[in-house]
Amino acid sequence: MAKSSTDRDQRPLQQLRTVADLIETPVLARIYAYAEREGPVTVGELVDELEIPQGTAYDYVQRLERAGLLKQTNDSRPYEYAAEAISLTISVDGTTTTVTPALVAAIARIEDDEDVEVFVERHGLDGLAEALEYAFEQVAGTVNHRIMARELDLSPLEAEIILQALEPVAVAYSDTAE
Amino acid sequence: MTTTYVADTGVFVRCGGPDNEKFQQLRRAVRQAGVSLVVPRRVYEELGGDPAAEEYPSGGIPYPVGFEEGWIVVADDLEYTNPLVSTVMDEARRFIANETDRDEDTIEKADTALVGLAAQLLDTGEAERVVLLTTDKPAGQAAERILPRHGFDDRLEYRYVSEAYLETITAAEFL
Repeated sequence: MAKSSTDRDQRPLQQLRTVADLIETPVLARIYAYAEREGPVTVGELVDELEIPQGTAYDYVQRLERAGLLKQTNDSRPYEYAAEAISLTISVDGTTTTVTPALVAAIARIEDDEDVEVFVERHGLDGLAEALEYAFEQVAGTVNHRIMARELDLSPLEAEIILQALEPVAVAYSDTAE
Repeated sequence: MTTTYVADTGVFVRCGGPDNEKFQQLRRAVRQAGVSLVVPRRVYEELGGDPAAEEYPSGGIPYPVGFEEGWIVVADDLEYTNPLVSTVMDEARRFIANETDRDEDTIEKADTALVGLAAQLLDTGEAERVVLLTTDKPAGQAAERILPRHGFDDRLEYRYVSEAYLETITAAEFL
């Protein structure tokens, strides 16, 4: 593997392009999130665990590797890959969002959890990023669905549904969150 | 000893899902134990208050069945004129504001209703013991902290209703 090209591709704007792919392609997000939690992983493991076609898995792993989001960790087959931490902060008109591994894991759940899918249809990915912040607070015991509902202008029921759907992500990433 | 089980919105959301397996498990457990789940009026309103929630798999909660069968009941309205109830709710408001790092003015009656209901049930003698089943950690902690200060030592238990708790629930939880 040409390590030098990997380094060149890690420049911010190149990474931005791949992160953009990641947030709108749940399968890519699932691969990244799985490698981030369970890595190093082989393509074979991704195929088995995430039930994605082998060709897709190879293509996507290469794409993530080119962008520097996955790194090959051994020199002999089967190759293993580990995730590099993402922290990309985007600021638009005074609203700042940080793309973190936890957010990618939340996006990955769009495919696995219909509650998350419906929430994103209704409130977009920015809404999901906001809800994830509340899910971290809920796990820490510093918010409830009622306060969240008032602050985000949701119904308490909808707030509770998304808090519960994101709870596994928030629990898994609470140790690494700020 | 009469124990009253007060259930919050989160309990029923946790039951949601395509085949309502967890709902059936909760139903079996509660009915076998011969108890009922009491919901504050606010919770009743939250459960039915948002037609948009029906788009979510977890929003299609068959809780009306529980009312028909009588194992879910709506609690009496909160008596704000009862000084104990209003004092406890005030204290809960301050506690929750502090726990959540929010301004006290933004904490509403909906946030403290569970704690107020527990106080009312104990004060009127309707219950000797109250078990709060909720996913609202600030409210659960408020109840645990505040009620003993008013003479209700060891008479309130807060249970956080996790997915695992509901998946393994049996009548033994209500005996």
